[in-house]
Amino acid sequence: MLNDIESIKSSARTEIDQAQSLKEVQDLKVKYLGKKGILTDKIKSLGSVPPEERPEYGRTLNQTKLLIEELLTGQEEKFKSSELDKSLRKQRIDVSIPGCRLPLGRLHPVTKVLEEIISIFVSLGFSVEEGPEIELDFYNFEALNMPRDHPARDMQDTFYISDDVVLRTHTSPVQVRTMEKKKPPLRVIAPGKVYRCDADVSHIPMFHQLEGFMVDKDIRMSDLKGVLELFVHRVFGPDTSIRLRPSFFPFTEPSAEIDISCVICKGSGCNVCSSTGWIEILGAGMINPRVYEMAGYDPDLYTGFAFGLGIERVAMLKYSINDIRLFMENDKRFLEQF
Amino acid sequence: MKASYNWLKEFVAFDLPQKELAHVLTMAGFEVEAIEQIDDDTLFDIGITPNRPDCLSIRGIARELSAILEIPFNDIHPEITDPRGTGPKVEIGNSDLCSRYSSRLVTGVQPGPSPDWLSKRLESHGIRSTSNIVDITNYVLLEVGQPLHAFDLDKLSGKKIMVKKAGSTNKFLTIDDVERSLQKDMLLIWDSQKPVAIAGVMGGRNTEVSASTVNILLESAFFKPASVRRTSKSLILSTESSYRFERGVDINAVPLALDRAAQLITEIAGGTVSDMTDNCPGPFMPQRISVTFQKVKSYIGADIDETFIVKALRNLGFEPESTGEGINVTTPSFRNDVNRDVDIMEEIARLYGYDNIPSTLPTMQMSDVSKHRSRSLINTIRNSFTGSGFTEAINYSFMNTEFLDTLQLLSDDSRRKVIYVRNPLRKEEEAMRTTLVPALLNNTILNLNRGERTIRFFEVSKVFLPSEEKLPHEVIQVAALYHKDMDSAVWQDKHDGFYDLKGMLENLFDELKIKDYLFDHKNQPLEPYLHPGKACSVIVSGERIGSLGTLHPGVSDALGIKGNVNLLEVFGLEKLIEAMGLKTVFSPLPKYPYSERDVAVVVVDDVMVSSVRSEMLGVNSDIIESINLFDVYKGKPIPKGKKSLAFSIRFRSTERTLTDVEVDELHSRIIRRLEENLNAELRR
Repeated sequence: MLNDIESIKSSARTEIDQAQSLKEVQDLKVKYLGKKGILTDKIKSLGSVPPEERPEYGRTLNQTKLLIEELLTGQEEKFKSSELDKSLRKQRIDVSIPGCRLPLGRLHPVTKVLEEIISIFVSLGFSVEEGPEIELDFYNFEALNMPRDHPARDMQDTFYISDDVVLRTHTSPVQVRTMEKKKPPLRVIAPGKVYRCDADVSHIPMFHQLEGFMVDKDIRMSDLKGVLELFVHRVFGPDTSIRLRPSFFPFTEPSAEIDISCVICKGSGCNVCSSTGWIEILGAGMINPRVYEMAGYDPDLYTGFAFGLGIERVAMLKYSINDIRLFMENDKRFLEQF
Repeated sequence: MKASYNWLKEFVAFDLPQKELAHVLTMAGFEVEAIEQIDDDTLFDIGITPNRPDCLSIRGIARELSAILEIPFNDIHPEITDPRGTGPKVEIGNSDLCSRYSSRLVTGVQPGPSPDWLSKRLESHGIRSTSNIVDITNYVLLEVGQPLHAFDLDKLSGKKIMVKKAGSTNKFLTIDDVERSLQKDMLLIWDSQKPVAIAGVMGGRNTEVSASTVNILLESAFFKPASVRRTSKSLILSTESSYRFERGVDINAVPLALDRAAQLITEIAGGTVSDMTDNCPGPFMPQRISVTFQKVKSYIGADIDETFIVKALRNLGFEPESTGEGINVTTPSFRNDVNRDVDIMEEIARLYGYDNIPSTLPTMQMSDVSKHRSRSLINTIRNSFTGSGFTEAINYSFMNTEFLDTLQLLSDDSRRKVIYVRNPLRKEEEAMRTTLVPALLNNTILNLNRGERTIRFFEVSKVFLPSEEKLPHEVIQVAALYHKDMDSAVWQDKHDGFYDLKGMLENLFDELKIKDYLFDHKNQPLEPYLHPGKACSVIVSGERIGSLGTLHPGVSDALGIKGNVNLLEVFGLEKLIEAMGLKTVFSPLPKYPYSERDVAVVVVDDVMVSSVRSEMLGVNSDIIESINLFDVYKGKPIPKGKKSLAFSIRFRSTERTLTDVEVDELHSRIIRRLEENLNAELRR
């Protein structure tokens, strides 16, 4: 009799294993465990088993029932989840339909570049100062060692408001304005709009500059080089090298133009660098002691450096923009690329 | 300044190829901007900075090259071996404006065309060849950097020269046949009766050398730079001569240039040279500048060898004398730009090579970098706008004042008090802008014309308003423009763009923690360029700080803009800073659940939502948590002239769970108030 159970067990196992659908599993459940099921019949006939065999027989039947139940449940779950899966798959959406996007506003590329540069210098401990855009001739020229009738004034075409009021031609007036109200050590940047009476393919009458300067007791020209190198590496990447060339600004001595290795051709020569491999990017120098005198500092006590950077120029190099006039046109298709 | 490779070589026997020479010049501060091949010569176009007038000549650049390359300098040594007769009579009236005037007569010259080598050399350097005598003066100008002038001696009354100001003489005909208006302080060259040249700028037609000239008076002078510059600026006449004088010529080379020219004239045009008259009321005073080696090293930040310092300065024409710890340097007459120790240090650094200076980082005391309030506010505003889909525009600070008429601004509007630019390039730049609106409208027109749809722009920039002070007020304003594409099939929200902009501003206020604000359409005047039915003032803390509204159809028609344009302006950043909540204090989250009731009422069109809300709040209960408008409806079955407003009201107590009975009771009171005070009908 125990053999009967053993064969029920093995046939149930085989059949359940081979079931192909949830329906078949449910049919098997009826076949073995239903009211008239094979195993149920055996349980019902437990009374006809001799009393001495009954405990073992009963136990075996019970174990078999549990085993079949377990096998059935296992198969049931397997088929249930695959059928849910099938019906979910039928609800497939078209993921190629464009996403519902909220309108995305952009910052002007000048703002982006300017803010990036500001954050670099702020991380070096520089603070931000500002000055007026309509400026006294005194701060724009005279205090920067460019007296009236000085030929250096020819370097910048100036918009005049009156005889002694101009649209500032550079952010350098902020140097003197800051020195007048603060004492060294100074680490300052001054971003802003500047104006030149000049408009052609490569010039616009208003553009953005960032002035930077540092004044303390022992600032060296090599420090200028180090700080600018660090800056250039942050903006254009660590493989960009810089080159200082002697130049002239009335408010710095020595003065230098700073070139960077061409970011477009990496030095092999292209249109942007006029085949020289170098691009002029900013003007700099050691602050001329005359500026300290104008600002009321003791020129024997302090040294420092200053530099001025054209923001549009940096943006043009960074984003490969070929026409400076695009910055002021505000064509959406231009602005939305940044 | 153009400089010939071959000509330079006559002074310095370098053997560098052209490209390398260009590099050497560039790295010494003489930027070679272009290289041009002319026949068998190479011309460098060199940018000479205003501090180096000595290098506005071949001789000057060559002298510099000799110092850089450490190759001997072959200077010219013109000699007038056999002068005949006394020099010209010269009187300097204004010795403050003329420090030296050297002159010689050359008699019996034969004017004619220049030899080939001479005319070629001039023309390759950008100067037109005319006749031998004038060409020679120009040749010496290029070679030595000293402008010269040749007068026809026989046309000089009294055969003498006077140097004095124009005084009452107000007209003068220059060589180029233009009548110039003089001013009394301009320095002129006179004969015994009349002016014959504008000193340092241009000679006169009346004494010009011509084909029939036989005798000449040759002038070589030093005129005060500032005086020549003023004259040249006010005549709007810049010449090769004035360009050099205003930067300063080498006072000690004045006679040398004179002799060089006289010698060349006798060689090429014949004639006999007289003695020299050399009036020098303001001779050169060399400067002595001392600097220590230690200072040089610490200022440049490089360990520059002391013998190098001495040698470099000597090669450049300075006379350094060792003092043990440093040097006393005597400056040469051609280096008036060198006045103090930093100038000497620049010379040393230049020859040492900027490339050889190491990169170091400064050691500096740490200090607190204070927060820049208006900058951080501007950044918040920018982020708020870009987060709402607005793109930043940056426009010129200029404006064409005609736009103010287009905007229908009244004649006494403060934005009409503009600051004019004296020398604008175009009408568009005639004045500094007093409003950001014109530029944003122009941006819109440009984009619509280029086929763009849906324009959301903002700008944060200064406007310029007149003030009592020397400098005008510069006020940072914010403006935004939304051109809503109402026809677009994509855009689901069909409400007026006005509300998009308003929501944008409300978000900004929320971000800035500004709570005391309202939108007023009747107590304050509205902008004349806005639609009178769709405009309001923005009031913060009781003050009008901005304006919001739809562009007046008349204005959009005049500008040719079709569609719904909405404008937002904030007139001053300071106003926002004042109103900003500075401290954030957390309020505990509610512990008890809320109850919600919806109510829809029909009111006449005139009743504003704000009145309905304040009426609701008028029940004076502290358990109303929020009132949200969720529908505004006009049309059937609502009678004409009326509208249906639907609100969702949330009730909550901070102390207990509310019962349905008390919520219903309060809700009925609210409805009753609306019915009694606003004549509202409850919609069921």
